[in-house]
Amino acid sequence: MATVTNWIDHLSAAEVQGAIYPGVGTEGMLVIALLVIWIGWHVITATSEQSEQDKLARKRHGANDHKSNITDW
Amino acid sequence: MTDQLGALTTIFTEFYYWITVVLMFLIHVGFCMYEVGASRYKHHQHTLMKNTMLIPLVTVTWFLFGWWIYWAFPTGPGLAPSIMNESAALITDDSLFSAKWYVPTSDLMAVNLGDHISGVFWAAFLLFSWTAASIVSGAVIERITTFAFGILAIAIGSVFWSIDAAWGWHFDGWMLKLLGYHDAYASGVIHAIAGGFALGILIVLGPRIGKFSSSGEPRNIGPRNPWLVTIGLFLIYTGFWGFYAACNIPIFDLGPEYGMEGVTYFTATNIYVTPTTLGGITMNFLMSLSGGLLAGYVVAKGDPFWTYSSGLAGIICASAGNDLYHPIQALIIAMIGVVIAYNLHYWVERKFKIDDAVGAVAVHGYAGVAGLIICGFVLNGYPSSGYSVGSMWVGTDYAPINPLGMFIGAIIMFVVLGLIPGWIIAKILHGMGKLRIPREVEIAGLDYNILEAARNDEKAVSSSTR
Repeated sequence: MATVTNWIDHLSAAEVQGAIYPGVGTEGMLVIALLVIWIGWHVITATSEQSEQDKLARKRHGANDHKSNITDW
Repeated sequence: MTDQLGALTTIFTEFYYWITVVLMFLIHVGFCMYEVGASRYKHHQHTLMKNTMLIPLVTVTWFLFGWWIYWAFPTGPGLAPSIMNESAALITDDSLFSAKWYVPTSDLMAVNLGDHISGVFWAAFLLFSWTAASIVSGAVIERITTFAFGILAIAIGSVFWSIDAAWGWHFDGWMLKLLGYHDAYASGVIHAIAGGFALGILIVLGPRIGKFSSSGEPRNIGPRNPWLVTIGLFLIYTGFWGFYAACNIPIFDLGPEYGMEGVTYFTATNIYVTPTTLGGITMNFLMSLSGGLLAGYVVAKGDPFWTYSSGLAGIICASAGNDLYHPIQALIIAMIGVVIAYNLHYWVERKFKIDDAVGAVAVHGYAGVAGLIICGFVLNGYPSSGYSVGSMWVGTDYAPINPLGMFIGAIIMFVVLGLIPGWIIAKILHGMGKLRIPREVEIAGLDYNILEAARNDEKAVSSSTR
């Protein structure tokens, strides 16, 4: 994975390579991973939000019921 | 970097933008505090998390496609040719400022010894994106789902503001060439579009339960914690300093840039690469803040919520031309913007039953639009770019700043790229049943379960003996 193994060799080359992160050339796979994380996050949170709100809606609390849950700590 | 002067200029520019990014982070801190202060106790935590989560969502999508859009779309496409390659197509060729270098797989989108500037410039623009999405966030509190807000935040933060920046903020943007559009510190490209987008959502989303009486009279809700609102707005002011600095290029030699043979002229420039000074814009920032506060205190009869918001509205209104205005002009323009924004807010609220919880549409949208229109008159005749001067509607060179062009520009920002997309996306989300939280949840409070769990924990802990 290491793109640079010796800084003296790297910086004294006739043309210094700019990209120094590990795995140069694997950017496409990294972007696919990011897409999966991004879309997956929406799917997971949308499902959990819907389920949490449906559960709460069924209880039909009043507008001031939350006041009995205010803690002192 | 092998020569000392070139290295110093590059590293200074890199550090300059890095500082602006850190300062602009305070805008988001301020928005979060402001929203929590404005929301009711039973909604606090969800309100905070909704605004916080736009940070990763807009950041990820800005990396994936938002930054690319900015560099690809200056020509429209199809509206005016680029000065770099004389083509009106998307700019994806091999030219220096092409979008080709900013696809997410590019090796310039990472640590790269050959490019010290792109990363900090990417970050500065990303912070603008957060601001655009955060403006929308405040207007819709206490009734939008986090899912819907996430989608809308991505739309404004990584798509529509990026398009408007390409059109009206890029040195090669078609709006400069055809219309003579000028918006140095983003009255339109951030504030008017975000205000319009928020209004489009609010039309579909509807008011909070209890906001309007059965006869349609509006009721005042909040702010619940005026002190948090106060600190939040002061932090937004502070972050706005960074925003102003980030809209400048700190050091640039305009002689060779404009093709003037043998001329060397180092200066700070605005985003359009026309000269200004950091000193001058700092004076204008403070004078427009002062004008906004003075006018806000009078029109709102000393109400702190609106007075602080008016300081912000004042800066926003003067921002389009604050690279060139005299400080007293900036102050007067700010005062005019505040009077318009404040009165329009209450007129729209009564007339159309729009519940803008924090006045975001007024402070950002109406003040931004007013600022663009005023700028067209006050800066009438100035060149919109240093590269060339031409006539309106031609497109091969740059039109001068003028009232009609700025008026059309304001419509494009507020309505075409703001209100209409916001309304359409909100309609789609509404049609899917994903836009608004259930009525019972809104009444009980979004945080009901969290509060109940905390109460149970407290009981358990206080009854424990070991």
